[in-house]
Amino acid sequence: MPVNLTPNAIATINDGDVNLKPLVQVLDIKQMGSAQERFRLLVSDSVLTQHAMLGTQLNDRVKTGLVKKGSIIQLIDYICSQVQKRKIIVVLNLETIIPDCEIIGNPKMVSDAPAQNALPNTNSMLLSTVGYNNLSSQSHGSNMHSIRPSLSSQSHDGKMHSFRPTSSTQNQGGKLHTFQPALGAQNYGNDVQSFRPTVQPPYQPPPSYRNHGAVMKNEAPARIIPINALNPYQGRWAIKARITAKGDLRRYNNARGDGKVFSFDLLDSDGGEIRVTCFNAVVDRFYDAVEVGKVYLISKGSLKPAQKNFNHLKNDWEIFLEATSTVDLCPEEDGSIPQQQFSFKPISEIESAENNSIFDVIGVVISVNPSVPILRKNGMETQRRILNLKDGSGWTIELTLWGDFCNKEGQKLQEMVGSGFFPILAVKAGKVSDFNGKSLGTISSTQLFINPDIPEAHAVKDWFDRGGCDVASMSISRDIVQGGPKNEARKTVSQIKHEGLGRSDKPDWATVRASISFIKTDTFCYTACPLMIGDRQCNKKVTRSGNSRWQCDRCNQEFDECDYRYLLQIQIQDHTGLTWVTAFQESGEEILGYPAKELYLLKYESNDTRFADIIRSRLFYQYLFRLKIKEEMYGDEQRVKITIFKADKVSYSSESRYMLDLISKVRAH
Amino acid sequence: MDTSKPAIFVNGALLPMHVRKRVRTVIQVVGADRGAIVGKSPDDLQLVVKGSPPSAPLSNFVEVIGIADSEKSIQAEIWTNFGEVFDTHSYNQLCQLANGEYQHLFL
Repeated sequence: MPVNLTPNAIATINDGDVNLKPLVQVLDIKQMGSAQERFRLLVSDSVLTQHAMLGTQLNDRVKTGLVKKGSIIQLIDYICSQVQKRKIIVVLNLETIIPDCEIIGNPKMVSDAPAQNALPNTNSMLLSTVGYNNLSSQSHGSNMHSIRPSLSSQSHDGKMHSFRPTSSTQNQGGKLHTFQPALGAQNYGNDVQSFRPTVQPPYQPPPSYRNHGAVMKNEAPARIIPINALNPYQGRWAIKARITAKGDLRRYNNARGDGKVFSFDLLDSDGGEIRVTCFNAVVDRFYDAVEVGKVYLISKGSLKPAQKNFNHLKNDWEIFLEATSTVDLCPEEDGSIPQQQFSFKPISEIESAENNSIFDVIGVVISVNPSVPILRKNGMETQRRILNLKDGSGWTIELTLWGDFCNKEGQKLQEMVGSGFFPILAVKAGKVSDFNGKSLGTISSTQLFINPDIPEAHAVKDWFDRGGCDVASMSISRDIVQGGPKNEARKTVSQIKHEGLGRSDKPDWATVRASISFIKTDTFCYTACPLMIGDRQCNKKVTRSGNSRWQCDRCNQEFDECDYRYLLQIQIQDHTGLTWVTAFQESGEEILGYPAKELYLLKYESNDTRFADIIRSRLFYQYLFRLKIKEEMYGDEQRVKITIFKADKVSYSSESRYMLDLISKVRAH
Repeated sequence: MDTSKPAIFVNGALLPMHVRKRVRTVIQVVGADRGAIVGKSPDDLQLVVKGSPPSAPLSNFVEVIGIADSEKSIQAEIWTNFGEVFDTHSYNQLCQLANGEYQHLFL
């Protein structure tokens, strides 16, 4: 199929056109850059060639082979800019028209350096009308001059010739000019076609030029560019984008005094996203003006490197609005800008994700726990609600909602699940936590969408309705590490000492099958504060205050009755040795089978023989102890402290199977 | 523990190798047939246990020790109730260990 590349495209673009949307051919692709991967194309309009940098958002086109050597592409968004005195086309958007095609014509390289040996050439003379605007510094009093490019070929392969236009003014004040390329003598008579560029300036020209007048400021509105093309080195820009999220107004106090800040996120029709931040007085100007979901034209503002720990958008920059910035609502809806942009990942992928990384997921809410108050480290109380999300990857994950999410979206989800619906939930920007396996939590920039009307949601729903609801799926949160290295590591008593468990920064965990050989009974429990702090009991040790009342120093209150909690010192023993361990409330009750208070009363107030019988009856029973082992300082002495986290009576059946499995492993070696 | 009269751990499949020897196994009682007890071996084969069961009623699982008098029957001397729940899978594995590589570790 014969293809016609857009004639004169290169010259036109070099002269500032941005609307031609020309068809050009890719002659070469080179990977540039070390810090960031970039591709440089050599594009041809069949006569001239020019280098073009691809916007990084287009890297995939090269990687997936959509754009390769020989491809005919249509440049859709592009701008010609001057880099180190050389012009280069920056391509922001393109379409591949023909993936593969033979080289068309015999294009020559265009170059901006003045020709040293420009020779007049008689082979071919090109005439064209050029509406050329004042690009040469030598122009005075006229915005129309002649350009005399000369071609001098240096390479001999007939393909890569350099094109060196000289921008000398020959014909001041004239109206019609000649465009006179001179082809070098060694240029083997290639057929150079004539071209007629229609050149458009990047901006509307200022109304008039005077010889020695003051420099006029270009007041024309800046051109709308894609968000992905924003960088700190552009003076004038405008973007058209939808606000996808708006942060709360936050006040801060630092060394420079009080201040307030808020930010919002933008998305444009090319999928570019960026965060906009306003401080102090600028906040007042824009806080009420911007509304989530609406489309705005935004111009002026400075670009600064994005704060990656707060900003998870796919952009290296962040816009800081200033007093001169404009944020204008676009009255008409622009359907080309999506409402939201997600990059959903299957839940299975989160299992190998790093802690604190940010993910978008979509899944079916299969259960919602009630919301509970949580005391934060800073003493503030917040809400927490845990729900379970399942997706087609066959895994479920815990999603922890914090703060306002619990009551807004959380409440709604709970009601839906409670009445038998399984809503689809899209999570934008959830944070991965590696507490208890892997889970996902909300952060301030997280957004939750219940039953969103997007194809991914319909796909999940379809999967769930067609049997996905019955598929048994594993959770990547909580105890899925059973048999894994951390909790289930079987050790013997002597191994705890010999392997130096607990000596590292983090506690070691081990499971030990052992019998209780001794229970210390002088003090086996302590008097605890029964008051509630948030949803937890205080449990601090309380002391007698004078008469018969108890006093808690933490709660600063007195009460008649205190609670009794286990603090058991126990010796456990297996075939390799013996060690002291500590059991607190829960594990103490698991071992003794009675509440601490009941045993305390037995021992001290009613029947200490019965108490002794109960203690004795627990001796020499085998348990599976899950132990937490950690070295701690007691005064100036380092001691390894072993705490019973859980005590389970040995199940002979499963223990037999465990041992049979061990035997088979021994045999394998 | 009485080591004077060792009994070999067997399941249904291993029993034929030990005819006329003293064996032990655990059966799940299925029923009675002409004065003998019919049961299922740990590997799900049918065994007949002869002899006189104890006066107490048999539980679901019963350990029997006695002489293997054929490939499918045992003349039991000792009957022990093992209760209603029993992990036959592990017991079957044990029988295989006792007749395999680790035979020397068993009486």
